[in-house]
Amino acid sequence: MKITLRIWILIIFLILAVLAIYPAGYFMKGVIIKDIEANSTAFNAGLTTGEIIKAVDGKKINTIEDFYSSIADISSLGNNTRKIEITTNKANYIFLTNSNLGLSVEKIPFSKLKAGLDLQGGARALVKPERKLSNSEMQDLLETVRYRLNVYGVTDVAVRGATDLSGNNYMIVEMAGATPKELNDLIGKQGKFEAKIGNDTVFIGGERDVTFVCRNDASCASVRTCEAIQGGYYCKFDFAIHISGEAAKRFAASTSQLQENITSGGKFLSKNIDFYLDDNLVDSLLISADLKGKEATEISISGPGYGATKAEAYENAEAAMKKIQTILITGSLPFKIEIVKLDSVSPILGGTFTRNILLACALAIIAVAIIIFIRYKKIIIFIPIMITVFSEILLTLGIAALIKWNLDLASIAGIIAAIGTGVDDQIVMVDESRSSKEYSLKEKIKRAFTIILGAYATVAVSMLPLWWAGAGLLRGFAFTTIIGITVGVLITRPAFADIMNQIVKD
Amino acid sequence: MSSEEVEKNPQNCQEKKLEEKSSKKKISLGEWYDKNYKLLLLISILFSVACIAYLVIFALKTGDIMNKDITLTGGTLITVYTDKETDLKVLESKIFSEINEPVVIRRLQETYSGKQLAIIIESKADSNILKASIEKNLGIVLDEKNSSVEITGTSLSETFYQELIKAVVLSFLFMGIVVFIIFRKIIPSIAVIQAAVTDIVFALAMSNMLGIRISTAGIGALLMLIGYSVDTDILLTTRVLKRKEESVNNRIKKSFKTGITMTITAISVIIIAYFIIESSLLKEMFLIISFGLFADIISTWLGNASIVKWYVEK
Repeated sequence: MKITLRIWILIIFLILAVLAIYPAGYFMKGVIIKDIEANSTAFNAGLTTGEIIKAVDGKKINTIEDFYSSIADISSLGNNTRKIEITTNKANYIFLTNSNLGLSVEKIPFSKLKAGLDLQGGARALVKPERKLSNSEMQDLLETVRYRLNVYGVTDVAVRGATDLSGNNYMIVEMAGATPKELNDLIGKQGKFEAKIGNDTVFIGGERDVTFVCRNDASCASVRTCEAIQGGYYCKFDFAIHISGEAAKRFAASTSQLQENITSGGKFLSKNIDFYLDDNLVDSLLISADLKGKEATEISISGPGYGATKAEAYENAEAAMKKIQTILITGSLPFKIEIVKLDSVSPILGGTFTRNILLACALAIIAVAIIIFIRYKKIIIFIPIMITVFSEILLTLGIAALIKWNLDLASIAGIIAAIGTGVDDQIVMVDESRSSKEYSLKEKIKRAFTIILGAYATVAVSMLPLWWAGAGLLRGFAFTTIIGITVGVLITRPAFADIMNQIVKD
Repeated sequence: MSSEEVEKNPQNCQEKKLEEKSSKKKISLGEWYDKNYKLLLLISILFSVACIAYLVIFALKTGDIMNKDITLTGGTLITVYTDKETDLKVLESKIFSEINEPVVIRRLQETYSGKQLAIIIESKADSNILKASIEKNLGIVLDEKNSSVEITGTSLSETFYQELIKAVVLSFLFMGIVVFIIFRKIIPSIAVIQAAVTDIVFALAMSNMLGIRISTAGIGALLMLIGYSVDTDILLTTRVLKRKEESVNNRIKKSFKTGITMTITAISVIIIAYFIIESSLLKEMFLIISFGLFADIISTWLGNASIVKWYVEK
């Protein structure tokens, strides 16, 4: 068989697609570092996310369980330290430790293909701003939300804007492994934090007024007291912040007007400092009388957490603290927003699902082979058809991997649809090449292409509106269909024509 | 092109002779087709009119042309992954009596084993109330692992629905423009578009008859049908309008052979995928596409073929 230019082009693109998908996970052993806590032992030792851990203390690591059992003894070391040696694909790290390494690891991903939310599980919110936003306003919103999620400690998150056919803006936030409650807490509201004394605003959330927020340090941020109340428990958190000089001046000005009251608990000012989150009162604190008229820069923020059990109340107080800390650091979102759709997807069916897709593909190939055989009585025609089908799947996935497209269910439906169109086109080409003898093979292929391009154009334009419609939630379907049929027309169909040419000649 | 012109073409004469030799029955089929193709067209038109009439009656009765699911009406959809089988009717009435809102419950099964994979519960009730009622009646505490929750606001679902209808209209418009650019003739272009309309109205009518609730993905499938179903129409119209060799009947016959192989292949693949892939979203899409492809056999080979035959022979 002669390998023509078009076949070469197909081969080159296939190689590029394989490189883009890079199914290295299949060949590699070990676990990949997903996340490292800041200032943890592993962090200080120089380990970075994305490194592949091959061995711990010389023992090979093949699974996540291997890794955790190899470091299981660390938690019981107490004040003793032990030497640990971690071998990764980049370096060999040897250090002493007596505390949790701060590493979280996961299986090496099979390839660079990214599974969408509905395949790997997680939460998604579709957020609508109160009014239409300009492009730059939308970018501001996306930036702030990214920053907020980042500060909160979410790593695996995708935030993007979308505009629908009617020109409405949306923001889509997708978090793998997150719960819808977390998502709702973090971006459900604008997150406007205000500290007020009477009607005077002393400071608001954000770096302009708040210069430091104590976090992850039990000496200045913790849930301190828990007590039983009617119908459950109540826990109180508090943490320290530093406010800017400007804000401190406002504090001094507001408090200088106030009177001093003497109570059984001590001397306090006549008005409290009230903390509001999105216009709801979170907590109201007495101000010690000796702060009157002073430019206090260190302030303690507190608030409650309730629950049916003590543990639940404690957890809720911790969550509320983390949320307010995040908001104080990042400031409020620049626009009022509303979550209009909130989904959480269980990862439970992901595995079954992938297996079933492979089974469906295998059976579909058999079905196509039977139909082709019944129709043409020649199995040789089936071979190039299958080659192009596989090529098209590979090329589409290659492009998806290259641009980091999240393959969700809709994308898979799109790939299936594109394959269907691909097989259809090849049937047209086979039939054209077997048509009347008065035309040369080249002419016949040209005639087939008239039909194929016509069909291509109609599918492409009919899928186009789906890119925008409904906030682009079905964009994956349009994307993979259009990519699939485009690589079909541009790359695999011409190669198929040349392969057909040779088969017909033979 | 007139039939006289066809006769003048020596190539065609040869073909015809060949056909006469090979089978006498085929000639009578051709004659029968010449006599009855307008009747076939009528059948195709009646088919699509019946579907449209059904949809109109359906819309008058229910207020809409389709059964919309919660993603298009607003509300909560909870999928509980459990293999514990429960009587859905009993569960439905129990939950209904507790939350005072209509609730629809479906089962997601593994098609080949019949094993229950999940129970899908839809309601317009507040998600927390619905969740509590499900937990109580199923005896399961729902978490992020054993359940998926989809909450769609009412105003958004309305926007979504309008958006997707807009998308369908735009798709038709774009497709129509492309078809017209390809053929540059009004009637053949309309013939192609009518075929796509028939496919969609049949797919919708069938979905309604079977009580399938259409989601945003289902409307995506309708859009796909617009592009997918016109493949065969473009094949047919190109061969009949733009080719000069052979008789019109022969060109239609050969197109039919090619086109029906295409459609059967597509239907087989989609039906296999429907039975094997356990996702209610994909199942819905595949079912709608397979209905449409089935209708495409009628709309293309009875409808469109007759129209283009009439058009070139007039």
